[in-house]
Amino acid sequence: MSVLSKERILDRLRKPVDDQAGLVITPLLNRDMAIDADSVDLRLGCHFLLPKLLQQPYFSPDESSSTSLHERVHVPLGRYLVVPAHQTILGATLEFIKLPYNVSGEILTKSSVARTFIVVETAPWIHPEYRGCLTLEIANVSNTPVLLYPGRLIGQLVLMDVERELGEGKLGSTYFGPVYPEGPAFDSPQEDLRKIGVRRTSILRPDVVG
Amino acid sequence: MHDGIEALFHDAASLHRLVDFIHQYCNEQKTSQTYVDATDDFFGYIDRLATGTKAFLRTTTESALPPRVNVIRTSLLSVKNYWRVLHTFIKPAADAHTLKIPSPLLNLAAEQVRQVPGMQGANVVVLLTPELMYFQMPHSDIKDAAINLSATIPEARFPRNLGFVELPYSQGPSFFNNLVIYHEIGHFVYEELSNSDPPVAALDGLASEMIRCLQKNVKPDFKTLDRNTQVYAITVLQNWVQEVFCDLFAIRLIGPAFTFASVELFGLLGLMGNTTQQVKFSDSHPAQACRFSEHLRQLQADGWWDLVKDIQAEQPQLVSTIANLPSTDYQLDLDSGLRADCGLIPAFLDLLPAVRDSVRGLTDGARAKADDFRCFTDHIEKCLAHGIVPSAPKDPDNVTVPDPIAVINAAFCFYLSALPKLMGNLEKQDRKNLEHRSKWTRRLEMWTMKAIEDFQVWTKCQAAANERSI
Repeated sequence: MSVLSKERILDRLRKPVDDQAGLVITPLLNRDMAIDADSVDLRLGCHFLLPKLLQQPYFSPDESSSTSLHERVHVPLGRYLVVPAHQTILGATLEFIKLPYNVSGEILTKSSVARTFIVVETAPWIHPEYRGCLTLEIANVSNTPVLLYPGRLIGQLVLMDVERELGEGKLGSTYFGPVYPEGPAFDSPQEDLRKIGVRRTSILRPDVVG
Repeated sequence: MHDGIEALFHDAASLHRLVDFIHQYCNEQKTSQTYVDATDDFFGYIDRLATGTKAFLRTTTESALPPRVNVIRTSLLSVKNYWRVLHTFIKPAADAHTLKIPSPLLNLAAEQVRQVPGMQGANVVVLLTPELMYFQMPHSDIKDAAINLSATIPEARFPRNLGFVELPYSQGPSFFNNLVIYHEIGHFVYEELSNSDPPVAALDGLASEMIRCLQKNVKPDFKTLDRNTQVYAITVLQNWVQEVFCDLFAIRLIGPAFTFASVELFGLLGLMGNTTQQVKFSDSHPAQACRFSEHLRQLQADGWWDLVKDIQAEQPQLVSTIANLPSTDYQLDLDSGLRADCGLIPAFLDLLPAVRDSVRGLTDGARAKADDFRCFTDHIEKCLAHGIVPSAPKDPDNVTVPDPIAVINAAFCFYLSALPKLMGNLEKQDRKNLEHRSKWTRRLEMWTMKAIEDFQVWTKCQAAANERSI
């Protein structure tokens, strides 16, 4: 597995949008500066999901997770969002990305951003054929609130070859094509565990607990 | 014993409390939500006006002497009336924050409207309404009231060129149906320019042409009709003219996507009706057949129709069928007793060329051009079929990016004709499943809005790069 160089990234970007070996990054602002020797700089988008104060004393990752845990916020270009100390929020890249069928990606925190004790991504891997704005888990691990400005550089995308044949299969639809950060998509715990033979699962739900 | 001064203080304090509550409410909304510029401007106005009103109440009551109590209470009445009117605007405006409305579309529309002569600096505040219908809130009365009030409270002077359109709250974040707001923005432009001083030639000519057409076509002689009937006929004709003006205005700015959005909306509201209903002219609106006939004519003249008429969807055929209903079938369906053969419809048909000319004259600098659509439509369709935001450049080396009008029209055509194509590329998606269809329609709308937003960001970035190079 080798990291794609600037020239190979540009080659991939030149392919038609419907070519499965093609790479799309849009909008790629200041293109000449955005593509480094071995990575592409990505900017922070304008939509965020902030953790919600829940009414129940726990969070259950189940079918309702995508909407129950977060509150959506829009911060247009030119304004800022305050991330309180020791809090994690979800953001997204300004750029929409389509990866080729034989390229994986990894997103890393931009080094200057990391030095402000902002950490981007704990799940940084991006699979081949992914398309969408990348949801970013942004944690402020410092003791001070930090301002985030949408439109500024936040991360860098490293692209790697994957040895893989071009398949005939369809594209996965679960996290397909988001343009805003999206909450997690879970099935019910019972259903997930039934698939590995667990027939009875304890669940904790407000309506059951009473 | 009744004390006039005490009653005045009581009265002023009640008003002070109301204004203070509204003031606080707006400040709370502004700090907890994000709004488009027009709404920010409107809340800025409320902020200044509230501060001015409270100062006015303080100074007026502090120095009040018993003989002047009645005069002061009368002046309070006009302040109260104005705030009562504003009250109805504020909550629907506060509800329309950027998570609830298609803000990239509204920013685009505002930018286009500012290209219309006489509309420089114009902005449109969106209000979310409980009605399942789009409206323009007439603003001339509120502006007149503001001018009168500004004699006592200088902060009351209303921001120039600020208009209001209402969106159904259920349609707020959607995209395709909301394209009909261009029609409502047309009403705003019409109202604003009709009252402009000096009058705008394109609209001024319409008024005199209207009288000429009435005198020529109304039977028996228009001049012999009683005064009420004359006024009624003029009002009805003005309504029809304004509706067609707004339709053509929208088409000039956004192209065939407006016609398709109208079909969608009328369909959703159950207003498409049958042939009998499609030829009826009401007090407020010309017949659908007549409106679509004007749509078709304008789309043909601007070179759009040939580009969209053959898409694999029901809508172009439907538009064409309704538009081609003969004008001899048009019927009057008015609330008043005007006779069916009174000549009002012929007068209107006679007037239509002048309406077309006035719209053309006003929108030349802002109009949607079909060239980009022609050049980019295949590329945009490919993007959407593969789940890619259509701001992706067609030629990455030259960075040729589709403009928003091309994106909107191509995306609408894709929505009408090729949604199953997108779903066919995805796992476990069934085009007959309504939830799946809704989900991908929503995604399609989000990609379209993202492409418009990207274009706006990209344009600013280019401008900044050009400035740097200079």
